[in-house]
Amino acid sequence: MRRVRGAAGIVLAALAWEALARSGVFPRALAPDLRAVGGALWQMALDGTLAMHIGWTLARILVGLAIAASIGIPLGLLMGRFRPVERFVAPIVNVLMPIPSLAWVPMLILWFGLGNTATIALVVYAASFQFVYNAWAGVRAVNPIWIRAAVAMGADERTLFRRVVLPGALPYVITGFRLAFARSWIAVVGGEMIAASQWGLGWVIFDAKEFLNADVMMAALLVIGLLGLAFERFAFQGIERRTVARWGMVRTAAA
Amino acid sequence: MKPAIERTLWFVAPFLVIGLAWEAIARFGPFPPKLFPGVEAVAAALGRLVASGVLFEHIGGTLVRLVVGFAIGAVVGLVVGVLMGRYRAAEDLCLPLVSIGAPIPGLAYAPLFILWFGLGDRSAVLLVAFATTFPVVTNVWTGVKTVRPVWIRAAEAMGLSDRQLFRKVILPAALPLSLTGLRLGLARAWRVLVAAEMLTAVPAGLGWLIFGAREFLNTDVMLAGIAVIGLIGLALEKLVFERIERFTVVRWGMVTA
Repeated sequence: MRRVRGAAGIVLAALAWEALARSGVFPRALAPDLRAVGGALWQMALDGTLAMHIGWTLARILVGLAIAASIGIPLGLLMGRFRPVERFVAPIVNVLMPIPSLAWVPMLILWFGLGNTATIALVVYAASFQFVYNAWAGVRAVNPIWIRAAVAMGADERTLFRRVVLPGALPYVITGFRLAFARSWIAVVGGEMIAASQWGLGWVIFDAKEFLNADVMMAALLVIGLLGLAFERFAFQGIERRTVARWGMVRTAAA
Repeated sequence: MKPAIERTLWFVAPFLVIGLAWEAIARFGPFPPKLFPGVEAVAAALGRLVASGVLFEHIGGTLVRLVVGFAIGAVVGLVVGVLMGRYRAAEDLCLPLVSIGAPIPGLAYAPLFILWFGLGDRSAVLLVAFATTFPVVTNVWTGVKTVRPVWIRAAEAMGLSDRQLFRKVILPAALPLSLTGLRLGLARAWRVLVAAEMLTAVPAGLGWLIFGAREFLNTDVMLAGIAVIGLIGLALEKLVFERIERFTVVRWGMVTA
């Protein structure tokens, strides 16, 4: 029953769109019907451009996330463990975090030129704070009794860190990954639009605007939505189930 | 040292170090000064923007767009979220659409919105409204759904009408999560707005200020604009939402501060 209704929702939305497209409120070129969108999607998939766009966008996100994680997580862990680091870095993080990453795009373009470097730098900026913030919160959330117990049992600083602090902070770090991905997903699409390169899902939307190819734009939007959903559902929930949920650190809702 | 002085010192020190590092890069770094202005130049640009009153025009334009767009998105989101939480049919109908729509960055719609509604305010405001709606819907929906069934049954047993039930039980119980949704929605709105202003060429706005300044390589103005955007973002978070939370859900004992 749920499935049927869910499908009905999508069908209804599709029909409403089709009606809008045919009604002529918007010119046909601006509101393509479903067949045109499907056709554009099919054609992009056939000639391989869709795969290229997806590949470039994902590559930019992965490189950016990797850089951001390797800066952000250690910094966050240090902040959680050492008070002076926390006192020094926290105000900076608090001031920089509310700046929307896309506000930096024009500046990044001037510094790094149009293209990959600017887009990746944008992803790094967008993602780092999520890593820092969550790793930091994770270390602080480690139960102090565990630390005292480990110290009492003679764990040195390194063992303590590896065996107690790190696993204890892991649920937060994984949340950090999730949030960082969500942020970079937005940043990469925006970055690709403005810091135009040659490939990428954001770029293809913006480029299609120049030629009034609304069908290509809608097709790319659909792909962006489905990919984002897929990452959230399969990648992150899968990782969570396999690590922290299994170790009994958190309970997943659908376990 | 007195604790108050020490605290200020700890607060100032990081910015001092960053400022000095920035200045050092600006003076001796590989970037030409035109692309990497010193702290002084940025401050001067900020001073000029304030003195000429231009800055307030941009801030005003941005805030009006933010408020209008957020209001539209919040109302739509609240209505849809409550319906989804209360009625199974609405939930089943809307959930797939929401799950696909939510992960699409609002900004990705910008080019389409520009084609449909033209350059300018209308596109920017609608884009903000659109981006606001999703986090509000998901959180309100979850909030209404997670109202403890015992409360509802108790209220029904005591003979509350549907309307009373909604006002006295569901609304307060769903409020903490709904506020979280509004907060996330506002944060989204703010992020989208800055970028939308760049793309939709609005008459006055902070995003546009930055984007326009790039054409003339006025990096000092751009950095001043970014600083103002950061300050407003911080103010929105600290002054608006933390306060609303303190006056409502914390006070009613729904969550601890």
